Amino acid sequence: MLGFIAKRLASALLTLLLISVLTFSLAHLAGDPAIAVAGKEASADEIAQIRAYYGFDRPVVVQYLSWCAKALVGDFGMSYHYQQPVADMLAARLPITLTLGVAALVFALILSLPLGVIAALHRGSMVDRFCLFLAVVGQAMPTFWLALLMIVFFSLTLQWLPVSGNDSWQYFVMPTVALGYFATPALMRLTRAGMIDALESDYIRTAWAKGLRPASVLFKHALRNVMIPIVSISAVQLGAMLAGSIVVEQIFALQGIGWLGYDATVRSDLPVVQAITLIIAAFYVLLTLLADLINAALDPRIRIA
Amino acid sequence: MSDRAGPDFEMSGRVVARHALRRAARNASALVGGLVLLAILVVALAAPLLAPHDPYAHDLSRRLLPPVFHAGYDPAHPLGTDGFGRDYLSRLIYGAQVSLLIGASVMLISAIIGTSLGLVAGYFGGRTDQVIMFIINTRLALPVFLVAMAVVVVLGASLWGTIITLGLFLWDRFAVVVRSATQQIASQDYVTAAKSIGCSHGAILLREILPNVLNVVVVVGTIEMAYAILLEAALSFLGFGVQEPTPSWGLMLAQARQYLFFDPWLLYIPGAALFLVVLCINLFGDGLRDLLGQGEDA
Repeated sequence: MLGFIAKRLASALLTLLLISVLTFSLAHLAGDPAIAVAGKEASADEIAQIRAYYGFDRPVVVQYLSWCAKALVGDFGMSYHYQQPVADMLAARLPITLTLGVAALVFALILSLPLGVIAALHRGSMVDRFCLFLAVVGQAMPTFWLALLMIVFFSLTLQWLPVSGNDSWQYFVMPTVALGYFATPALMRLTRAGMIDALESDYIRTAWAKGLRPASVLFKHALRNVMIPIVSISAVQLGAMLAGSIVVEQIFALQGIGWLGYDATVRSDLPVVQAITLIIAAFYVLLTLLADLINAALDPRIRIA
Repeated sequence: MSDRAGPDFEMSGRVVARHALRRAARNASALVGGLVLLAILVVALAAPLLAPHDPYAHDLSRRLLPPVFHAGYDPAHPLGTDGFGRDYLSRLIYGAQVSLLIGASVMLISAIIGTSLGLVAGYFGGRTDQVIMFIINTRLALPVFLVAMAVVVVLGASLWGTIITLGLFLWDRFAVVVRSATQQIASQDYVTAAKSIGCSHGAILLREILPNVLNVVVVVGTIEMAYAILLEAALSFLGFGVQEPTPSWGLMLAQARQYLFFDPWLLYIPGAALFLVVLCINLFGDGLRDLLGQGEDA
């Protein structure tokens, strides 16, 4: 197990290293950063000053290493536009996006687990076909269209929910649904397929044969084995939700990391874009690492392979 | 998962019949999806013949006319006009061109990248496989949407900028699926035979393995095409994709945002078109997956 953890950790760190190189080079491909900060009308003198102030005159490798060294201790530099430390800006926004991501994942699980179990129990029936149909339809629904439709119906027509902002829980209802439903079809299909597999297996036949109560067979024996893939997909989905919250946050003016990422890209505020890319990638790597470790702990076959 | 036979008592006639029925129903929905998709393709290709008006022509005296399903519509503009007085139906039809062109081009670029990586990783294994898996994992960790926005800023926001950017990002599923298919095929006797008569690695990959992984490539291709169309719409919606005045559905939705309160139909029409195209591609893809025997979770 220790060897497995060490190997997974090493590959996670390498991935992050490569991503830091990619993020860094992207910012430098975007053109001369000094001109981006100074604006197009700046004089040659001003540009030279800015170049020296931000250290753009140093060799690229030196700039990269110093950026990495600072990022490791949580210093992502100053925002070009807001003239504030990027780390402070991120710290203020991160809780909003994390709240949204976790709420969206919970919403997706609440919807998809029961539907998946019901579909598996009534395999091939109308109920099953209806659930699969819902999954196909759900997969085709564009997130931002659903978000705008909800605004038209629930905010403008019915006036039940506020359109945009992040002052109270009501502001999180529509963003949670918009972000969460997209993960539902995949989670539902996975639950269904896993339950069908489990229900056909020998240990479930044994459980029935022992005369256990149906609830005990279904939840203690079958669903428990389905939970392994669900946990790992959920972790990946949460990572994807943090990354995918840009559109939703922009529509609902929910000022989290995604909103900040959009705002920074519009303003070519490169230190902010770099920091957000790195943080979201780090979350993703961490979540998949966790999922792998949990899987390995639950299923010994994984850590031997 | 699906090719394993269940316990004997499950294989009663009723179950078999039910299974056949489900397959038939799935194929029917795949057929409907494919036909609607074909119709949309024909409409997109014949756009200059079918569009009632010039999709770029402004007419500020006729702006925001309502569509057929509203009172007081203008028969000359069945789907009404947008905020610039441009015919909405004509823009919708030309928008289909943009969506399908982007979906198909992105799918092609990412299929070529992903299939090559998957073939090489699966066939050579060992160190090569580890390096390619590492590249795949890194790609998966990158927040696609944010990085795509940044790359579009670098490349310049345009139709081709969007296509290249998305093509460079959506290859991961091709690579993963082709890699595992290649691993299975590489251990087959005919591959060993080809090796023993001295075929080069390149010849084996192209002539023995590639033809046998093409069916998984096609199935993944439908998933990625649908995904590319959704991503382009979202990018254009935020202003990082196709630019005005090109009629993209995502862009039409972005412009509809300012009229949500009084003219919400501006939002309904392009969104419904987007939803329909993606739904049809998914249905068609599900049918192909059944037909090509890729199981339920390919």
